[in-house]
Amino acid sequence: MWLPRLPTDRLARAEPRRRSEPLATVRAARGRLCLAAVNGPADACGLFPGQPLADARALLPALRTAPDRPAADAALLAELADWCGRYSPWTSVETPAPADMAAPADIPPNAARHGIWLDVTGCAHLFGGEAALLADLRRRLAAMGYAVRAALAETPGAAWAAARHGDRATVLLPPGGIEAALAPLPLAGLRLDADALDGLARLGLRRIGELAALPRAGLARRFGAATVARLDQALGRAPESIAPRRPVPPHRARIAFPEPVGRPEDIARALHRLLETLCARLAARRRGARRLTLTLYPGDGAPRRTAIGTSRPLADPDHLLRLFAEKLPPLLDGDGIDAMALDAPFTEAAVPRQAALPRAGDGEAAPAADPAALGLLVDRLGNRLGRDKVVRLIPRDSHWPERAQTAAAPLAAPRKASGRTTNATWPAAGARPLRLLSPPEPIEAMAPLPDQPPLLFRWRKRLHRVARAEGPERLAPEWWRDPAAAPPAMRATRDYYRLEDRDGRRFWVFRAGLYDRPPAADGTGDANATGESTATGESNATGETSPAPRPADAPRWFLHGFFA
Amino acid sequence: MPTAGPPYVELQTTSNFSFLRGASHPEELARTAAALGHAAAAIADRNSLAGVVRAHVAARAAGTRLVVGARLDLTDGPSLLCFPTDRAAYARLSRLLTLGKRRAPKGDCHLGRADLFAHAEGQIFVLLPPTAPAAPDAGFAATLAEMRAGLGRDCFLAAQYLYAGADAARIARLAALAAAAGTPLVATNDARMHAAERRPLLDVLTCIRARCTIDTAGRRLAANAERHLKPPAEMARLFAAWPEAVARAAEIAGRCRFSLDDLRYDYPTDPAPGGGDPQTALERLTWEGAEERYSNKIPDKVTEMLEYELGLISELGYAPYFLTVHDIVRFARGRGILCQGRGSAANSAVCYCLGITAVDPARMDMLFERFISTERDEPPDIDVDFEHERREEVIQYIYAKYGRERAGLAATVISYRARSALRETGKAMGLSGDTLDALSRANWGRRSRLEKDTMREAGLDPADRRVRLTLALARQIMGFPRHLSQHVGGFVITRGPLSELSPIANAAMEDRTVIEWDKDDLDALGILKIDVLGLGMLTCIRKAFDLIAAHHGRRLDLAGVPAEDPAVYDMLCDGDSVGVFQVESRAQMSMLPRLKPRCFYDLVIEVAIVRPGPIQGDMVHPYLRRRRGEEPVSYPSEELRGVLGKTLGVPLFQEQAMRIAIVAGGFSPAEADKLRRAMATFRRTGQVSAFRARMVAGMLERGYDRDFAEHCFSQIEGFGEYGFPESHAASFALLVYVSAWLKRHYPAAFACALLNSQPMGFYAPAQLVRDARDHGVCVRAPDVNRSDWDCALEPETPGAPGAVALRLGLRQVKGLSEEAARRLTAARGAGYGDPAALWRRAGLAPAVLETLARADAFAGMGLDRRQALWAVRGLGAAPLPLFAAAEDRAREAADSAPVTGGGQETEAPGPFAEPPARLPEMGTGEAVMADYGALRLSLRAHPLALLRDGLAARGYIPAARLAETAPGRRVRLAGLVTARQRPGTASGTIFVTLEDETGTANLIVWPRVFEAFRRPLLGAVLLGTAGKLEREGKVIHVIVDTPEDLSPLLVGLAEPAAPGKRAPRLHPRFPSRNFQ
Repeated sequence: MWLPRLPTDRLARAEPRRRSEPLATVRAARGRLCLAAVNGPADACGLFPGQPLADARALLPALRTAPDRPAADAALLAELADWCGRYSPWTSVETPAPADMAAPADIPPNAARHGIWLDVTGCAHLFGGEAALLADLRRRLAAMGYAVRAALAETPGAAWAAARHGDRATVLLPPGGIEAALAPLPLAGLRLDADALDGLARLGLRRIGELAALPRAGLARRFGAATVARLDQALGRAPESIAPRRPVPPHRARIAFPEPVGRPEDIARALHRLLETLCARLAARRRGARRLTLTLYPGDGAPRRTAIGTSRPLADPDHLLRLFAEKLPPLLDGDGIDAMALDAPFTEAAVPRQAALPRAGDGEAAPAADPAALGLLVDRLGNRLGRDKVVRLIPRDSHWPERAQTAAAPLAAPRKASGRTTNATWPAAGARPLRLLSPPEPIEAMAPLPDQPPLLFRWRKRLHRVARAEGPERLAPEWWRDPAAAPPAMRATRDYYRLEDRDGRRFWVFRAGLYDRPPAADGTGDANATGESTATGESNATGETSPAPRPADAPRWFLHGFFA
Repeated sequence: MPTAGPPYVELQTTSNFSFLRGASHPEELARTAAALGHAAAAIADRNSLAGVVRAHVAARAAGTRLVVGARLDLTDGPSLLCFPTDRAAYARLSRLLTLGKRRAPKGDCHLGRADLFAHAEGQIFVLLPPTAPAAPDAGFAATLAEMRAGLGRDCFLAAQYLYAGADAARIARLAALAAAAGTPLVATNDARMHAAERRPLLDVLTCIRARCTIDTAGRRLAANAERHLKPPAEMARLFAAWPEAVARAAEIAGRCRFSLDDLRYDYPTDPAPGGGDPQTALERLTWEGAEERYSNKIPDKVTEMLEYELGLISELGYAPYFLTVHDIVRFARGRGILCQGRGSAANSAVCYCLGITAVDPARMDMLFERFISTERDEPPDIDVDFEHERREEVIQYIYAKYGRERAGLAATVISYRARSALRETGKAMGLSGDTLDALSRANWGRRSRLEKDTMREAGLDPADRRVRLTLALARQIMGFPRHLSQHVGGFVITRGPLSELSPIANAAMEDRTVIEWDKDDLDALGILKIDVLGLGMLTCIRKAFDLIAAHHGRRLDLAGVPAEDPAVYDMLCDGDSVGVFQVESRAQMSMLPRLKPRCFYDLVIEVAIVRPGPIQGDMVHPYLRRRRGEEPVSYPSEELRGVLGKTLGVPLFQEQAMRIAIVAGGFSPAEADKLRRAMATFRRTGQVSAFRARMVAGMLERGYDRDFAEHCFSQIEGFGEYGFPESHAASFALLVYVSAWLKRHYPAAFACALLNSQPMGFYAPAQLVRDARDHGVCVRAPDVNRSDWDCALEPETPGAPGAVALRLGLRQVKGLSEEAARRLTAARGAGYGDPAALWRRAGLAPAVLETLARADAFAGMGLDRRQALWAVRGLGAAPLPLFAAAEDRAREAADSAPVTGGGQETEAPGPFAEPPARLPEMGTGEAVMADYGALRLSLRAHPLALLRDGLAARGYIPAARLAETAPGRRVRLAGLVTARQRPGTASGTIFVTLEDETGTANLIVWPRVFEAFRRPLLGAVLLGTAGKLEREGKVIHVIVDTPEDLSPLLVGLAEPAAPGKRAPRLHPRFPSRNFQ
């Protein structure tokens, strides 16, 4: 069987509204972006894989694109091959020809991609015959959102040709009728290499039948033994063997019910059994799950999925079941379930350890000493308060103090914050206070103009006389962020001072706004960045071009933090 | 503007010629320095002097002076600023940079301390401390001492107030270091922009340089906007504790007395040919040349002109320049390289007599009132075009004669254009590829404006802040230099070492060296250059001359082509100009029947009129009306009669537009010149509106009406894009005439020369071949036994002289290398009997033979394309050893005793003879399509001829029938799309050219229709269309309303049995040569 639109179908499944609009995946080939796959609407507009993106856009400006992800496609294909296990235990993914792998910069022909072999010898009767099997296959996959073409024949080669070039979506080649059935099909159906195909076309040969009529020796001499071999394989004159796909690494547990079940407690029990099986397998390999995916197969219709993540590699069925508990109910609406599968797509090595309880009275040291305990604590807190409520601060690369740190998952490696690699470090020691106020608190300060440090300031009704001061350190706001998101005083350029009062307390204060410059003169607001409004005389929405400083624009003082 | 402060000069000034490090143009920095009251402007770009001339010119205009300097980044030491105090020191700095650049790859400069110490005399150095937060440490103190020891007394240490928190402490530390090392402290502000508002732009430039987005750039960006030029009073306030550091900056600037004006150019004074001083030599050569040109009968008019011109040359001392050009031209002529000069000085009588041009000043009715501007002290301007294939010989001659020390190419500053600016800014702003594409598309074809509507159309939200910021920043970045490239052929030749004038760098091309200044810079300093340009048409004309000499026994040269031949003008009046220089474009072709050129000067006008200048100035139609007598010839004023007399009162040439500015607008010649320059670079400096106001006001004052004034100015703006003066038009017109003459009288030789000079011109070989056949030339297909690499002429009937046929060369075969073709012809002998003979004797790879077979080049052996392919494929297997030995013997026999009597060596059927293969026969349609695939043309039939019946059934008429169709009628047409154009001047209108078996047709597509039918219009190889016919004289257009993609019909031709596949890319120019 062949999934001619697998990449775009994959995207459309994630985002169903994409199904009806032209969509293509794009990849760089020979120095420019080309389409790698197109969906039905795009195809109907005349776009095709291999077409340069620029040409495609000229034809169809509304085209949406997504990057081509061969790895994701391959994973999906493998998953579908497994899914086909319901028809036959023997399935295999069609791997692209070595030539395609050698030149990954080129867009391989679509026909050579995304095929699945099924050997249904002796299986068809279970589904009411070969025709019924094909129909069932197509119906189920179509329901899942995949375009599919399938053919069933005596030889793999003939099935391949018929699936791709047959006149219907499903083709059943009668026994003994291969030669006649293949004769009118194009040569492309023979899985020949591009060079041979091209050469044959130049000789005017287009149909499999025409090729079969040529002298074999001359043909082999000119187009290689492989060409003749492909012909023979398709026609059943030579054997072809295909290796079945290796079984998936066993981070998967499955259960099938004799008849559909729908009661929550039955499902939960089944899930627990699955968890036990999987955890036992993981434990045997000294691994723990970081992520688990549960798939429920209803009798009909698309599978339902849910997933949980853990902060540490875990192989504890009870703990994991608790994490699943809240996720299950939404999945139970609708038809009954006739199969369940639990996968652990993401596991990590887990050092096996005694599942000991933290010792009493050792509360302070335990989390640090025992990361597993910390992990349990974090999971428990997360489940109670919400996972996003338990965080830790990691540095972020920014001059702007409020943005110089960000909240990250408590136990994740710092490099993996928010899924992206960040190698940000904290600014050089001493320059920043240990504790920041959020938000900064207004103070009253007295300072010589235009940018001398304050002589004294009042914070929370208390007067501080400055004994020593350093500054200013001038920080301009990040002009590319939307200024409307912050109040005016918070989006002005700041002069920071480190102050020490007469009691030896140290503060970090700043003045928002400069005395000798209008608020937007250094590209802070829209007025400058867009550069136009002043020239054309139109004032922009926020009215920041007004030259006279209004009271709101007048510099104001804030306390932002404390040094140790 | 600011309160006065102590004298101050910002020495650490970085312009955008420190690529992606400075956010202001040199001009802006110089002007701002003047406005802020700095005692002088200074500029110091990274290892470069590329921006100094612009800064110098702007400083002069702003009433201040420029201190020339450079920032030197050493490979083994701290960075420092270097300011030469006098001409000699400048020469040393320039030499130093040359040294560093010549040893580094393009765009880089490798300098070490030792190099610096060797060139230190006369320079003032300002060492730069490490930037915050790394505090200057003991290591830096040691470095400082070493540098001081190596560089001498004039060595200073810079300190900046960075607003980084601990500035006072940092500067105090630097002051202590400076005192200890004996390098007094100088206040600077490390200015990277002229004003604080450029901060966003500077940030974006940083992102582009670091290849990151604004969101991920983090602390790589500057923390604040303080790195700009500041008023002296502000600097004094920041350095209140170190007033002497501020004063020292001004002192240093005061000691740098070197000005770029000191670079007075000295012409090369190589011994004049024949000895004597240059003027005497020039006069002698000129009069000798005149005797020769006019066969000892020099017309009085010419004598008069020569005396006047020679007097002027003597007065201005330009004789060496003319001698230099003459020498280059003489060299080319000696090598048989065709060349022709153009430019204001080139169309002088002197240049004609020296052989620099072939435009006879006596024969043509042209007035060169001022070939050299005495008022402006501008150096003469001569560009010389050479055959494009042989220009390199000329360039190498110049290098050989003057040496790389004295000759170099001018630079071309590659700047951000709308597209690149948007792309790079958008990337830096983190816009997605889709958004960027949509933006560029919406922006496409427009100069800089992006209307809200077009944005909405492209599916973008015009209110989106990111998008707005990106567009605004892209507009700012437009015109910023990106890198220096080499000028196509502008040579600077000096008397002394060139490296003392400007640093010399390696160009991207091997064997090329380039100075750092471009054409405008050289102009501004009055430095002379000679443009050595390549012109495809000269190659073509020379080849045609050679062919005519060989096959018709007639020797011709540019000046020797019979003048004013009415048959040539008849042909041009019909718009029959495919292949003719300059007038073969679609626009020119439709202009020819309207303008009806009847004499040489008409051609000069023809060449000049279809240009942005006259079009933007709306001058074309008035001129045509007056020419046809539909409108009286009148002059806006008596004073302009002299200026506009030759062109019926309508300004068409750049010279006229400039004269109007002077005569009617009240500009001084020097101001007019400034205006011209401002136009050429208006995007960079953005000062056009001031000029517009001035000129229009000046003209109103003198009694001209506003409309005329505005049009004149628009025209000057048009010239800014691509200035086209009469003097260039005259030289081009000669090539128009000569190529038209060749086309008219020797169509086979002309077509052959055109094909052999490809790529050039407007048309693909298919159109050229077709045009030749339309003109009665017998064209024959490429053949392994008859064709050479180049196309050639052969007797139409073997052995019979007289009529010639054009044999296409193997160069037309797609994918065949010249080297393979040479081997084929070298081993051909009496001819090849079969593909195997060719394979063995020429030693060509089977793949090459397959290429030939695909091109049907074995047809002469009686093998059609498929049979030949079958045969060639069979060669692929390696011969058995036994068999190979036999073949070798046969080969020896063949080589020593070629078969005579026209018989050709044939491969005897060997013991391994195969049964013949029955291959499907090729239909005509298939063969035609295969021809297009392998040759990009077909001699068999036009694809449309094969489809005609089907097309006729659908109501499509042949293009030839358009001429007999009444205007206003609706017609249906179908044809291969040969060109799509969207001229910038046509506000979104698309021009499409269709070709069928009877001729070509011109379509006009209004933007509304284009948007509705984008797909067929852009995607179709074969386009069907319905629309209204419009006719003006002989010019016919079809105004398209419903286009239709008929390409599948072609697929039907190519593969009669397998419809439903996609159309092959038929046309080599498909789809977008003119369409980006």
